[in-house]
Amino acid sequence: MLAGLSISERWFHRLVLGAIALGFFVLVSVGAMAASAILQNQAQIGWINHGYHVERAIARYRVLVERLEAARRGMLLRDDPAVAGTFASTAAAIGPALADLQRLTADNPRQQANMAFAAKLSRAHLTTLRRSVALVGLGRRDAAVAAFNSDQSLPLIRMIRSLCDRMTAEEDRLLARRDAEQAQSLTRFYIAFGVAAVLLAIVGIGSIWIIARYTRDLSASRDELRLLNAGLEGAVAERTIDLQRANDEIQRFAYIVSHDLRAPLVNIMGFTTELESAAAQLARMMDRVEAHMPELVDQAARIAARDDLPEAIGFIRTSSDKMDRLIKAILRLSREGRRPLTPEPLDMTVLAQDVADTLRHRLDEIGAEMRVQPDLPRIVSDRLAVEQIVSNLAENAVKYLNPDHAGRIEIRGRTEGARAMFEVADNGRGIDPRDHERIFDLFRRSGVQDQPGEGIGLAHTRALAYRLGGAVTVESELGSGAVFRLTLPVTFAGEQGPKA
Amino acid sequence: MNDHQPVSIIMIEDDEGHARLIEKNIRRAGISNDIHHFTDGTSALAYLREDRNGPSHNGPALILLDLNLPDMSGIDILGRIKAEGSPLRRTPVVVLTTTDDKVEVQRCYDLGCNVYITKPVNYESFAQAIRQLGLFLSVIQVPDRTEG
Repeated sequence: MLAGLSISERWFHRLVLGAIALGFFVLVSVGAMAASAILQNQAQIGWINHGYHVERAIARYRVLVERLEAARRGMLLRDDPAVAGTFASTAAAIGPALADLQRLTADNPRQQANMAFAAKLSRAHLTTLRRSVALVGLGRRDAAVAAFNSDQSLPLIRMIRSLCDRMTAEEDRLLARRDAEQAQSLTRFYIAFGVAAVLLAIVGIGSIWIIARYTRDLSASRDELRLLNAGLEGAVAERTIDLQRANDEIQRFAYIVSHDLRAPLVNIMGFTTELESAAAQLARMMDRVEAHMPELVDQAARIAARDDLPEAIGFIRTSSDKMDRLIKAILRLSREGRRPLTPEPLDMTVLAQDVADTLRHRLDEIGAEMRVQPDLPRIVSDRLAVEQIVSNLAENAVKYLNPDHAGRIEIRGRTEGARAMFEVADNGRGIDPRDHERIFDLFRRSGVQDQPGEGIGLAHTRALAYRLGGAVTVESELGSGAVFRLTLPVTFAGEQGPKA
Repeated sequence: MNDHQPVSIIMIEDDEGHARLIEKNIRRAGISNDIHHFTDGTSALAYLREDRNGPSHNGPALILLDLNLPDMSGIDILGRIKAEGSPLRRTPVVVLTTTDDKVEVQRCYDLGCNVYITKPVNYESFAQAIRQLGLFLSVIQVPDRTEG
């Protein structure tokens, strides 16, 4: 389900990326197309203009030729110097007009052929006219008029006219073709533009749809996450409360059990004492009987009164004493567990030094020294609990020094992130690694049993450290000292959950 | 003690052994008053309230009360004895129990308990405490109901 989802997700991502890329590609190509279309259009317009220029040049040439013809005829009719001036200037303009036309039609071989013919016709026409005008100038008007009727000027001008018509037609043909081309390219441009617009619209709508879908999915998953988160917090809180409840239950259980165990113990100890005094009475009685009537005392009775009874009573007494101590210890532990913790800022250097000072007398007795690192981390925690932990660890270190060499104990510490670490290191007898967990169990001890104690200190210490959100661990080898490490939060916020 | 009527001691204690040890040590302290022993709260309350020879109808009394009883809490009994309008309100109550919880002690005094003694497990201390209680009983003035 998850794998399938991820594959389709991957495909979906590719699709989205492809669509976006396509959208951009379309945009870019539309831009390029528009640019090239504009350039092409400009070129086409240029050619169309060129066509008009050519047509205008043809028209100008034709006008000049007609005007020249008209001027010659005018001169044949009457002698007018103004008309002669017109003829001269017009004749002079013919050449440049033809050259202009020649230059403009340089691109078209067909027009070039026409132009060559036009130049020839024009030359012949001009020569004919000049001859006629020259005759007029010589005063032989009649001859000139006669020549006019017979010379080639009329057919020539007709040919020039038809040639000009052909050339104009040629240019018109070109113009028509160019117009059609321009219209066609415009149509192409519009079609491409339309297609691109549709594509863009599709990509745009698709993108918006995808973004909308994504946003919806995102907010949905965010809501879901928030819900899950809340659920998780709830679960954690519930779990914490459960744990707290279980812990409270155990504390109450320990309290009740230790109380209820005390009641029969009162009886055992009480009646043992009664028994003891009764046995003492009997023993005194035995003494008196033995002194006065020895024949009444048999061996078994003597042993019973003098040895067996006191011995039995002695065992009962020591056992019940021990039981009393154990019950008291459990009671103390359970009472400690019920004591509310009140975090306050603690100067650990001062606290550890105070602990060391209370042990000073004992240290001097056995010739050991205890050094407290002068800059222990400051923490916020419950003073009494931390004091008990440190003093328990320090007392243990003093208790289990190696008598063979001078004892050295060091209390040191450092901060590691949000946790402070304190170590009580000694060069004492050390602890077998097999016992490292056992020593933290209630009533369990390790090594040579030559020191008083019930095996409660470390169990108590660890329970306290756990309550303070910390832990106690040990590193040691038999014979080479031990390091007890206490880690505590730098700031203990107090216990969570309900407390009985 | 009162001149005209002997004070009877009513001991409410479920543990027979404890009762016996308490009685022995009271006797050793030279107290010879009657001791009525009850092992449960119901019969003790019945005696205290109803019995013709009980303290409600006849004679002054002193109550030794254990808090851990099988059928009801000693605190309840204390509450009923010391309740407003109870004929036994002025009867001294000595709570003698194994519980040394501070809260419990306070509650007992709040309810009107006159003396609170924790039973020490160590017998010497226990015997000592009971004998001292006996000495205390020999000088204490117990109000007669009719005087109330």
